[in-house]
Amino acid sequence: MKRTIREAIISLTTLAISCTPALAHPPARVMSLNLCTDQLAMALAAPGQLASISFLSRDSSLSPRAKEAEAYPVNHGRAEEVFLARPDLVLTSTYSLQNTTGLLKRLGFRVEEFSFVQTLDTIPGEIRRMGGLLGREAQARKMATEFEAELSRIEARQCEPRPTALAYEQNGVALGRGTLADSVLAAAGFRNLASEAGISGMAPFPIETIVEEKPDVIITAADEENAPTLGERVPFHPALRALEGTRIGAFVPRGTWSCGGPAVIEAVKALAALREEIAPCGKAR
Amino acid sequence: MKPAVLNIALCALMLALFMASLAVGPAELGLSESVRGLFAGGEAAAIIMREIRLPRAVLGLAIGFTLGISGAVLQGFLRNPLAEPGIIGVSAMAAFGAVAIFYTGLAGTTLYALPAGALVGALAAVLLLLALAARSGSTLTLILAGVALSSLSGALTSLVLNLSPNPFASYEIIFWLLGSLKDRSIEHVWLALPLMIAGWLLIALSGRALDALSLGEEAAASLGIHMGRTRFVIVVGVALCVGAATAVAGTIGFIGLVVPHLIRPLTNRLPSRLLLPAGIGGAALLLAADVAVRVILPAGELNVGVLTALIGAPFFLWLVVRSRREVF
Repeated sequence: MKRTIREAIISLTTLAISCTPALAHPPARVMSLNLCTDQLAMALAAPGQLASISFLSRDSSLSPRAKEAEAYPVNHGRAEEVFLARPDLVLTSTYSLQNTTGLLKRLGFRVEEFSFVQTLDTIPGEIRRMGGLLGREAQARKMATEFEAELSRIEARQCEPRPTALAYEQNGVALGRGTLADSVLAAAGFRNLASEAGISGMAPFPIETIVEEKPDVIITAADEENAPTLGERVPFHPALRALEGTRIGAFVPRGTWSCGGPAVIEAVKALAALREEIAPCGKAR
Repeated sequence: MKPAVLNIALCALMLALFMASLAVGPAELGLSESVRGLFAGGEAAAIIMREIRLPRAVLGLAIGFTLGISGAVLQGFLRNPLAEPGIIGVSAMAAFGAVAIFYTGLAGTTLYALPAGALVGALAAVLLLLALAARSGSTLTLILAGVALSSLSGALTSLVLNLSPNPFASYEIIFWLLGSLKDRSIEHVWLALPLMIAGWLLIALSGRALDALSLGEEAAASLGIHMGRTRFVIVVGVALCVGAATAVAGTIGFIGLVVPHLIRPLTNRLPSRLLLPAGIGGAALLLAADVAVRVILPAGELNVGVLTALIGAPFFLWLVVRSRREVF
């Protein structure tokens, strides 16, 4: 009898705790299951607060914080791992691991999902949201403000005429309207050929069309991989290399524009510098 | 039909489809613009014609020829109407060989790893099947062994691509299982064409032996045919051309099955007389299929192996039903 009463009291208090806003009791152990939430969480979490991150974050071809990620234990996004680790908060994305997310919610874990259909405009909001969830509002506010300031500094340097660019990924897939890459290209002062061709999201972009359009820049995914694939050779097709006046290469630092996080500003800076080099402002081309 | 007439008619068909292949693509080039691009220049048109469409058309022709002639020679040599590089697992093993060497990075990132691996795979498959065929002459044994070999190498191909540390490798399973000619370049032509031509020549050398073999092995031996040499020439010939074709275009099935059956009634039924028209017919069929995939789904582009399987698999079933009535 005594035991059941004690159990009831414990479960009541846990209920009370989980009802109070996150602000009062920041979660002590947080588990991130997604490459993109990893980046936001690593940037904001207090020391020791982040229990584990996804294994992908240690892959330097995907993650701009691969070095830093070595310091954290990793998970593979499996429900069993979460169940054994018993974190206070699970972070994941709305796209990945939907079954896992559903299962974890049914098991009573607190799961927060981040949507990664986003553009530069949504990133400060995501930073603040992550700060609120982790109880690190002040740090998040500072980071978001810096991000916005840096972004508007770069955007102010745009000028006409704007060179054309194409973000060209594995297997000849281009990034069009509504993607993070599209907003980064716009902020850096480029015209995105894929968006102008009416592509929204990701879609195949024929090499023949690129040859006709002759973009000034073709931005490929990271070109140094630890294992080769045929798809990553597509942007280096001889027909594209034959285009005089078209630069092809991985101009964006690795992994910086695959996730909407603070690292995206590095992609914006790199592309703005490239634009400056191709079409310097103040000089008629 | 007279062989010369048949060959000329098929050649005309093949050339017409070759032209059609050059004319189809997402860039809307007019006729005069394409011709000028091909021969004279004119920047964008020249690049599109010479670097994108011409390699694709050449590969379509050469790979179709390879599949047609290999189907004809295998059907004649094994005296099995269902033999074909795709069905008996030669293409699948070639794809596995290419994948095993290229994606593991054993040979760096060089494209030469692809034909090297594919040739080894194709050679292993042909040798294995010949050993089986020598032990049991049944049509069924060979086909069943081929089915097993195809499934096994398909599974191994998927396994290697899934195990690759590069997360994008697994997207390429579909290419290796159902081939495609999309975005091939002149590099691929230089990589595969010499090997394919060498294979064709070897297969052509076996013509007289094939005719003698249609009378049975003993009769062939009494006609002075050296079985060991014939076997060697055919094995190496098929492995060379099918290996090279698979290395650059993945597994394209059923062309080697369908074409010899369509053309055989038009010949005098001597296996040697079937080789050349089957090759030309195969080239025409693959070119037609490759034009069709670009017309049906211009944006996403279907893999050409999907289309050849859609045509070929029902045909295969029909052959099985028919041969049950005749052979078994």
